[in-house]
Amino acid sequence: MSSSTLTAERSVALGEKGAASDATSVATFRLGGMDCAACAGVIAGAIRAIAGVDRVDVSAASRCATVRWQASRTSAGAIADAVAAAGYAAVPDTAAHARAMRRDESRAALWRLFVAAFCAMQIMMLAAPSYLAAAGELAPDLRQLLAIGSWMLTLPVLAFSARPFLEGARRSIASRRIGMDVPVALGIVVAFVASSGAVFDPGGPFGHEVYFDSVAMFVSFLLAGRWLELRMRHRAEEALENATDQIPRASLRLTQAGGIESVATDSLSPGDRVRVFAGDAFPADGTLIEGTTTTDESIVTGESRLLAKSPGDPLIAGSRNVDFPVVMRVEQVGADTRYEAICSLMRAVRTSKPKLLAQVDRWASPFVWFVLFAAACAGAVWSVVDPARALWVVVSVLIVTCPCALSLAAPSALLAAAGAMGRRGVLLRRIDAIEAMARVDTIYIDKTGTLTECRREQVSAVFAPGTGVDDRPALEALAASLAGWSTHPLSRAIAATYPPSSIAWQHVREVAGRWIEATDETQHRWRLGAPPDDDVPAASSAAARVCLSVDGEQVASFFFDEVLRPDAASAVAALQHEGVEVRILSGDDPERVAAIAALLGVDGVGAQSPDAKLAAVRSAQRDGRVVAMIGDGVNDGPVLAQADVSFAMGDGASLARGEADGVLTFNRFADVMVARTLARKALRIVRQNFAWAATYNAACIPLALTGHMPPWLAGAGMAASSLLVVTNSFRLSRGPRNAHTPPAADVPVPS
Amino acid sequence: MEVGEDVGVPTYTDGPVRNFALAAVLWGVVGMTVGVLIAAQLAFPDLTYGIPWLSYGRLRPLHTNAVIFAFGGCALMATSFHVVQRTCQVPLFLPKLASFVFWGWQLVIVLAAITLPMGLTRGKEYAELEWPITILIAVVWIAYAVVFFGTIGKRRVQHIYVANWFFGAFILAVALLHVVNGASMPVEFWKSYSAYAGVQDAMVQWWYGHNAVGFFLTAGFLGMMYYYIPKQAGRPVYSYRLSIVHFWALIFTYMWAGPHHLHYTALPDWAQSVGMIFSLVLLAPSWGGMINGVMTLSGAWHKLRDDPIIKFLIVALSFYGMSTFEGPMMSIKTVNALSHYTDWTIGHVHSGALGWVGFISMGSLYYLIPRMFGQTAMYSTKAIDLHFWIATLGIVLYIAAMWIAGVMQGLMWRAVNPDGTLVYTFVEGVKATWPFYVVRLVGGLLYLSGMLVMVWNVLMTVRQGRPTPAAIPQLVYA
Amino acid sequence: MDILYLLIPLSIVAMLAIVGVFAWALDGGQFDDIEQQGAAIFDDDTSSLDRHQRP
Repeated sequence: MSSSTLTAERSVALGEKGAASDATSVATFRLGGMDCAACAGVIAGAIRAIAGVDRVDVSAASRCATVRWQASRTSAGAIADAVAAAGYAAVPDTAAHARAMRRDESRAALWRLFVAAFCAMQIMMLAAPSYLAAAGELAPDLRQLLAIGSWMLTLPVLAFSARPFLEGARRSIASRRIGMDVPVALGIVVAFVASSGAVFDPGGPFGHEVYFDSVAMFVSFLLAGRWLELRMRHRAEEALENATDQIPRASLRLTQAGGIESVATDSLSPGDRVRVFAGDAFPADGTLIEGTTTTDESIVTGESRLLAKSPGDPLIAGSRNVDFPVVMRVEQVGADTRYEAICSLMRAVRTSKPKLLAQVDRWASPFVWFVLFAAACAGAVWSVVDPARALWVVVSVLIVTCPCALSLAAPSALLAAAGAMGRRGVLLRRIDAIEAMARVDTIYIDKTGTLTECRREQVSAVFAPGTGVDDRPALEALAASLAGWSTHPLSRAIAATYPPSSIAWQHVREVAGRWIEATDETQHRWRLGAPPDDDVPAASSAAARVCLSVDGEQVASFFFDEVLRPDAASAVAALQHEGVEVRILSGDDPERVAAIAALLGVDGVGAQSPDAKLAAVRSAQRDGRVVAMIGDGVNDGPVLAQADVSFAMGDGASLARGEADGVLTFNRFADVMVARTLARKALRIVRQNFAWAATYNAACIPLALTGHMPPWLAGAGMAASSLLVVTNSFRLSRGPRNAHTPPAADVPVPS
Repeated sequence: MEVGEDVGVPTYTDGPVRNFALAAVLWGVVGMTVGVLIAAQLAFPDLTYGIPWLSYGRLRPLHTNAVIFAFGGCALMATSFHVVQRTCQVPLFLPKLASFVFWGWQLVIVLAAITLPMGLTRGKEYAELEWPITILIAVVWIAYAVVFFGTIGKRRVQHIYVANWFFGAFILAVALLHVVNGASMPVEFWKSYSAYAGVQDAMVQWWYGHNAVGFFLTAGFLGMMYYYIPKQAGRPVYSYRLSIVHFWALIFTYMWAGPHHLHYTALPDWAQSVGMIFSLVLLAPSWGGMINGVMTLSGAWHKLRDDPIIKFLIVALSFYGMSTFEGPMMSIKTVNALSHYTDWTIGHVHSGALGWVGFISMGSLYYLIPRMFGQTAMYSTKAIDLHFWIATLGIVLYIAAMWIAGVMQGLMWRAVNPDGTLVYTFVEGVKATWPFYVVRLVGGLLYLSGMLVMVWNVLMTVRQGRPTPAAIPQLVYA
Repeated sequence: MDILYLLIPLSIVAMLAIVGVFAWALDGGQFDDIEQQGAAIFDDDTSSLDRHQRP
């Protein structure tokens, strides 16, 4: 709700001969545990009560506090402790820098735009009489007054608002590359200089026409386009940051002595006990040890139902604690969590530079040379034909052909598309993937798990010979308990089928996609996961199989019947309808693969080694096909790299170590279809933008060259063109919301 | 009047707020009564038996000054002092100076009420008061500015709520306009001559006149709107971002619309055209503000049915929208050729004055007054409803009568025979207008009656309550 | 229209003042966190009078 600012009275240090320039520290703290506006007041009060604190700003919305204090009298640590004593958490905010930079960038841009627009408006008012007055109606000295007023109002526009363009042009000339800012800067400067000449020396070489209104309007529109683009970029960055900031940077750790301390989440280690508030995200993978609550794991697993959790239940880093504060024990932290993997992916995509843009840049330089050349020629010709107009024709040519639309055409669309895809759960590592995605005509699927899911009703257990009948329920319960620690679909199926026993597992380790291991209270090491490689499958080969073993000895196997995911069939059908070939090219059991393939109406081969997959992809590419590969990202590095575009589905560690271009975070095959549709739309919009920019230039350059375009019209046209391109790209950001497809009837896979 | 600290807990300085609120109601009745009187005189010229102090020429400026500066001014001062304290969470800066503002302003009003019927006037519209009073106004206004901006300066909430921007702009703009247009050369204690002459004076006068409307009657009351509508509706402004854009857009464009009052006069054609263009440009920001205010009720439209205070506030906005559309239309030269000097202009003024200014003030005062006397609602909600319906009927009669009269006058005055002579004499136009003057009088009487209902309601509310110090929230003290 | 010699410089000065005020507001953070400032007015009165007014 509101943000309160407290301005503490400057501490009058009675008797203290503090130096007049007492060092003042300022820092921003991230806050944890805030769930209402009143919390802001309590935190602010707690910090303010510290001697030496000068000023506190608490923002409930961004959950941070900015504190200014005298370094000699208190410290950041004391502040964090005071907040912890009040029942909240505070750590220094390392992300504050990025946010502050964004905020400064945004402010500077808004400042420039406001000055330009405001001055432009006033200049237009002063210029209007000259346009409206009939000949002789406006006295010359009055006209001069209005012109001088316009000149004065243009100065701030030039000196301040237009600085990015002037600086950009200077830099590009200094590095001997002609950039897009050059014609803009040239146009502005020439128009201003000539108009100034017309004001102060009406009889001189610059004639008596003034065009300050055109200059100011032109700068305003340009800045408006840039500001829109900046906001779009900032919003994308903020969305990414908010997603990556799910995990609170500060956590409240319970000390051995029974107290509470506020620590950076990064410094948690396994075994720590942490208090997690309702509404906060869990800072690490771990176990619930005190309290009951429900959690929302949708951001990590796509599971949209809220899950009830009691002591002993596993908790996933990044998932949200919905109802009640609880205490958890940390088991896995940092890079090993699925959550952190997703975040590192997001960070990578922010810094990548698409090839598409590099292509555009290649065209930019010759185009700008052409513009300058055309302007010079026009100037030369017109100075012979009608010298009074020569200057204005040159200005118009320079301004109207500003290739800003070209430079905006691709980036704005790609950025918007990446944002829209992100909202649908498709995270890209490289924006280039969009272009490849649009051209894909062949999709190879590696993991059958992409297409199927395991129904808990179809789990059946087979026990090792010699297992007592009475022991079987205990084993099932143990397996369920251990399985609860993994987010693998098969583990979840087991955990949901059998009631778990409450075992205090220790040293839990998971190798994603392979097994999960832990030590029980009697120091035995249990493992639940893929069968050992040399094992001969005992029962039906069409179903998936998970083995439970203790200290290396197998004691039970769980078999699953699979059903096709409801969205898989329709997605495959839709893709095939679009002419995309879908094939399963998997290392999984051939009979299973064949059954699934038959159900979907696609080709499929199983038992493919990585080399075989690589060969298949290469062969398809030699045939001229554009190949997309969907896998789990772990075992197929070379294959993924070979494919034109690759997506990973799966869990944490595999994502971090994988080579995929993108991630389907919700594990839904249907999202591939969405990604492709969005990618094609993005390219369509890029093409539209380019087409428009080209048409506009082709039409307007001749008009300007032949003197039919006064500078004000050139400016307006160029600005309108840029705005059109940016708004066209905006259409992508308003893509469909992330709607979960309604479940269709299950189609069981025959075993 | 409490200063607050001696109560143990800091309290807001509501003494001036209370006084201005009650004064607004009083002067509203006075101003509207004079209005009714002069409306009656237009229909029945011998009504006041030729008594000089009651003659139309002297009473008209009394009416305009009373409703704009006495009623409107006190309402603005009451609400601005109330809002600035609540949104900054501090008591008023220099409370004694705030008291001076109150008593000084009442003195201005009383002096106006004395000098204008005596015929002491500068002859400039909305700036009739002679130079000593003009100087007094300037002194009181500077004090007002010091209190208001000083309170903002010592605020405890960092963000300055948008209403305060509107109030601040109104205060500064009025100061500038008043000083520039008030420049005059005194020759006797109660007589002066304008520093400007002829068409130059006309230009300054209507630069003042239109900006007075724009900043005094629009920006100031928009400040009121942006606080009391959300408070009464219990929901925040529809788009706070839009309200900020609205403010700056209005500031951009208001300065140059003045010449639209001088179409087809000695003012150069191009100056008239500039005025026309920028009057049209003003349409956009005005309507942005209106939509923002009305949409604040989005999701709670039932309140419009149940809560008569909301009715006042929202209907005020509709009249605002209507007037800010009608105004630019009338500033188009072709339209103005018909409407200038007719009663259409009066209709336009009064739809804005009675509809927008009047209703937003009444709604805000109905919110404010009970709270100044320790209650959350007026003595009688039914009476508010009655007031609303009577006043609305009054407005409708008023402006309908004036529209018809105005268009009719314009058409009659410009009707020419084939040989170039006028079809109608002026007095024929007057005769034709007479019935509409009577209807307008009825409308004005209704509006005044509504105001009298308000007076009764206010008296009952004050009688059963008592001024209660309002504590400043202690969010900052844990 | 000699009066313009007064009005135009006057409005230019006023304009510069407005730009200055905008700068002060922008740098003072008045335009940060805009979205929830609209709701701040519901916190300004803790008197028992208006408890039921909160949204």
